[in-house]
Amino acid sequence: MFTSRKRRVAVGLSVLAVAAVAVVASVGVGGAAARTAKPATAAAGLPRDTTLYTTGTQWGTYSDLNPFKTWDYVTGLVGLVYEPMFNYNPLKDKYTPWLATKGSWIQKNVYRATIRTGVTWSDGKPLTPADVKFTFETGKIATATFHQLWTSGLKSITTKGNDVTFTFSTTPNYQEFNGYLYNIAIVPQHVWKRYTPDQITSGNLASTKQMVGTGPYTYGSGLNSKQSFTWKKRSGWWATGVYGLNPKPQYIVDIFNGSNNASLANLLAGNIDLSNNFVPGINTKVGSKITTYYPSAPYMLSGNTAWLVPNLTRAPLSDVQFRHALAASIDVNKIVEADYGHIVSPANPTGLLPVWKKYIDNSMVQKYGFTFDVSKAKSILAAAGYKDTNGDGYVENKDGSTLNLSLIVPNGWSDWMTAIQIIADSAKAAGIKITPTYPDYNTLVDDRGHGNYDLVINNDQQIGNTPWTYYNYMFRLPLSDNQTTVNYERYNNPAAWALTQQLDKVNTVPAMQKITSQLQSIFLQDLPLIPLWYNGVWAQANTGHWKSWPTVSSSKLQTLPAMWRGYLQMGGINMISNLQPGK
Amino acid sequence: MTTAPVGRVRHELIYVARHNTKLMIGAGFVLAMLVLALVGPFLTSQAPLAFGGDLQQAPSSAHWFGTTTNGQDVFSQFVYGLRASFIVGTLGGGLAALIGMLVGFVAGYRGGIIDEILTMLTNVVLVIPTLAVLITIAAYVTTRGFVTEAIFIGATSWPWAARAVRAQTFSLVSREFVDVARLSGRRSWKIIATEIAPNMSSYLLMMFILLFGGAILIGATLDFIGLGPSNAISLGLMMNNAVLWSALLLGTWWWFIPPGLGIVAIVGGLYVMNVGLDEVFNPRLREM
Amino acid sequence: MRTYVARKLLTYALTFFVAVTIDWAIPRFMPGDPVQGLISRMQAQPGSAHALTGYYTKAFGLDVPAWKQYLNFWAALVHGDLGVSVWQYPRPVTDLIVEAAPYTLALLIPAILLSFFAGNKVGAMAARRKVLDNTVLPLGYVLTATPYMWLALVLAYVFGSVTRVLPISGAYSYSLQPGWTLDFALSFMRYWILPFASLFLVGFGGWAIGMRNMIIYELEADYAHYLEALGAPRRLIRRYAYRNALLPQITGLALALGAVLAGALVTEVVFNYPGVGSLVLTAIQNRDYFLLQGIFLCIIVGVLIANFIVDIAYVLIDPRTRIGMQGHQ
Repeated sequence: MFTSRKRRVAVGLSVLAVAAVAVVASVGVGGAAARTAKPATAAAGLPRDTTLYTTGTQWGTYSDLNPFKTWDYVTGLVGLVYEPMFNYNPLKDKYTPWLATKGSWIQKNVYRATIRTGVTWSDGKPLTPADVKFTFETGKIATATFHQLWTSGLKSITTKGNDVTFTFSTTPNYQEFNGYLYNIAIVPQHVWKRYTPDQITSGNLASTKQMVGTGPYTYGSGLNSKQSFTWKKRSGWWATGVYGLNPKPQYIVDIFNGSNNASLANLLAGNIDLSNNFVPGINTKVGSKITTYYPSAPYMLSGNTAWLVPNLTRAPLSDVQFRHALAASIDVNKIVEADYGHIVSPANPTGLLPVWKKYIDNSMVQKYGFTFDVSKAKSILAAAGYKDTNGDGYVENKDGSTLNLSLIVPNGWSDWMTAIQIIADSAKAAGIKITPTYPDYNTLVDDRGHGNYDLVINNDQQIGNTPWTYYNYMFRLPLSDNQTTVNYERYNNPAAWALTQQLDKVNTVPAMQKITSQLQSIFLQDLPLIPLWYNGVWAQANTGHWKSWPTVSSSKLQTLPAMWRGYLQMGGINMISNLQPGK
Repeated sequence: MTTAPVGRVRHELIYVARHNTKLMIGAGFVLAMLVLALVGPFLTSQAPLAFGGDLQQAPSSAHWFGTTTNGQDVFSQFVYGLRASFIVGTLGGGLAALIGMLVGFVAGYRGGIIDEILTMLTNVVLVIPTLAVLITIAAYVTTRGFVTEAIFIGATSWPWAARAVRAQTFSLVSREFVDVARLSGRRSWKIIATEIAPNMSSYLLMMFILLFGGAILIGATLDFIGLGPSNAISLGLMMNNAVLWSALLLGTWWWFIPPGLGIVAIVGGLYVMNVGLDEVFNPRLREM
Repeated sequence: MRTYVARKLLTYALTFFVAVTIDWAIPRFMPGDPVQGLISRMQAQPGSAHALTGYYTKAFGLDVPAWKQYLNFWAALVHGDLGVSVWQYPRPVTDLIVEAAPYTLALLIPAILLSFFAGNKVGAMAARRKVLDNTVLPLGYVLTATPYMWLALVLAYVFGSVTRVLPISGAYSYSLQPGWTLDFALSFMRYWILPFASLFLVGFGGWAIGMRNMIIYELEADYAHYLEALGAPRRLIRRYAYRNALLPQITGLALALGAVLAGALVTEVVFNYPGVGSLVLTAIQNRDYFLLQGIFLCIIVGVLIANFIVDIAYVLIDPRTRIGMQGHQ
């Protein structure tokens, strides 16, 4: 009787065990091996000395090989595989001919570009102007990201010989068009003509064989991986002959790190060469082994402006005097120091990035610009009629009701959460009550879009070729029910928007400066947004295995140091080409 | 029922309790943390979320537990966090105990179809991944406080308590004194409250202690993945912030070690207390 | 026996139906429109936003009324189609889950089974040896009271940051890709050991303490004293006690699943392990209804299956339950 009981125990527990093993085995086999595409490189480790490890761009599985999905494609797809007609360096405001050898407006509304000869696609076929025409014509699809190009005046694209000609029916939006020149990656017509419109605008096109580009790298391994993706260098890149660019890394492995924490660990250990994550505390690690663009504060290049966005449809934020008082009460330097350890810098009162210095009218800034001054904030409030009637230290609304503004940032964005606590603290000194709140990201997007908020921090607009993108962000009209991408503050100033549209339609620096000066006059006096600080183009590199990273100290190495989407053609590819082996 | 034997039983219980090492040690830890939670905030001058001047300092005489990367005082956060944990534990554990007892008593006493329905309900809530539900619900509520968190926890952790109460009730229901009470025409609720529950009182106490500890752990887990209250501090939130600010790598161990130790002290103390109580109430287990 | 199994299956089927309905409903209670979140991330130009919203709303089947979405959900479920992910459009949810599941299972199953076996064995040993008891007891209590994420943090700190002997992020070395090679297997083990250890240790403590207490309880039961009075050898008594103590532990195993799942989630977060836990968090952050639904569904099914297996195992081990269930009170 004992033995049969023992047997039953054994049977029972082995039922458990067998079931468990069966589940693991079947799922494991199905999952790990079968789902990742067959690697073109050996499964054995890659040679460390000729492999570049990067991280900080990818936030999902490496499944998207569609260069038109500019928010989602695999890190490096545009820049390493697909290339645009021009590259643009914001630090020097210079366009470098890339797949095009030159381009200019031969008439007010006709643009002609000459496409480089001798460039071959990775499948051996030659690059032709027909490819450029095809690429830009995908914009005709209603859900294309640059569909706007075709609804704002582009009439037709024609090719003749080596030239591509863009003909507009009205004055073109020059500023936007210049952006397309370096942002739209050229795709091969002979491969892409088989795709349906849906596939082109929202498909992943996850076929490595059909990933045909002109760039220096090709597929290595890692499609659909959740951990890493490997690019392998190919021969025959046109830029080697033309510009002498020959990247030394044979392999570029981009790594998906779920947390900034993990990224830092691997960076310090030398497992990662370049991290484009935001790493709080990195300023304490900069030294012989870890390098950033600037060797000391602010360490990072400024990549976008963080704005305090008020909801102008709500009192008292609709009162311009209140906004000025609010702006004067914020201690941005404290945020820069305590929150960021000086890896960011305070923003110019116009909010424009340092690379657009020449468009900033300093006389306007002198005349109307705000500064941090608590006593001034108090006096503005008093003069505008905001008094503290109940002695609680905070002013009340003009009609006597409690004044309590909620300031929202996404939950989990720790640096912003700390920043708005500092803002609330410093506003308190001036008598303004601000309550920091941390809803979830999607709730925040919803509320922000529908105007259900008081104050929010936002930094959507990135560094680029023109400050027009910033003014579009500030002033665009008409307003709608759901402000999804610009003008969150719901600023309704037709004059400002008209000027912004004018700005889009000029193409020389003096003409632009004339308009930006007027725009800044409006902005600084009306203060629909309050610029706070410049977020960095986060980049920290370990010099153990690769050196000659971007740095301010050498003119040749003054390039943008990021692998972020849209940044490779703004200098990232030069960064990679300049790298030298560490030993 | 005479009073003298009851009095003597109570005396005996207290005597045994005082001499039970497990109960004493466990209770000691929990009480120590409770005292710290109550008194601690008066010992610190810096509010837990205030930004002081010293950034990322190791423990010193000025800051007993050091400071965070942004200059907040870790000791201050610790003692306020203890308060939060106790609140969540009491409210969450209490709510779970209440629901569990309600469901368990009714299912066990009534039996039949009511029992089937309640058991089905219990199983459904048991099977649904509670953390997943908590995450989803917590993401739904825009303003989160400790009370709401405790309510969520209470509303999802009662199933095992209900099962346990039901099982115990079953075994008691068949005893004679219950039949006697029924015959005397007492109403069901009164019977449950006056006859059945008191006979399980020790069991219910231990169950509450386990729920209390469990609620603290779940609360800390929710806080750790970023779903805790927004503008407050708790032990779980301390650990969450420590990870977000790369404490592991920058070496700011004083930021995440104390909160974990605090939880271990409270919850471990509770578990030890529980076993000790079991020995006190169950003479058979006493190691004399 | 047959009626028992049939009854159990019916119960499980009903539970499955209710749970799946709740599973479908819950993500939809979350505020925030997933399509808007997706479009906001696309940084689309204002002109295209309208067309894109319409396109994606239709693509996700969100343009039909709720009750219709519910029916569509069941229809798709029957075909094994869990829908398309919002966050990783246009990848199917099943793909994402299948990719992540092996990693979580590789952590969970060994951790659950090994901690159960080892914990019970050590707990039983501790119940009879005072010396062992004095170390196992406090250690067990500390371990079982330790929050999973804190143990994970401490292990990561000690072995990853301070001594740097083990990696603390990822599932395998960055220079490798998954495949049936020795290199990959070794790398996988290196990255697996710490997250596994943190799940194992907490579970171990719990089972050890539980078993130890149960054994002591059993040893104090009437039958144990009776056997002792009869002169039965201690080993025999202990063997009976062990068997009887094992039964509630097995029930406890089914109940503990929920806690271990939660533990696996936070462990994956700390170690950046690409399993289902990390997937859940990302799905929530991106309001990916369909991914969340799909994952919860898999978890529910998994837990139901596990409970069912435990029920069967319990019946096989304890004949009393079989007798009990055939006659009803």
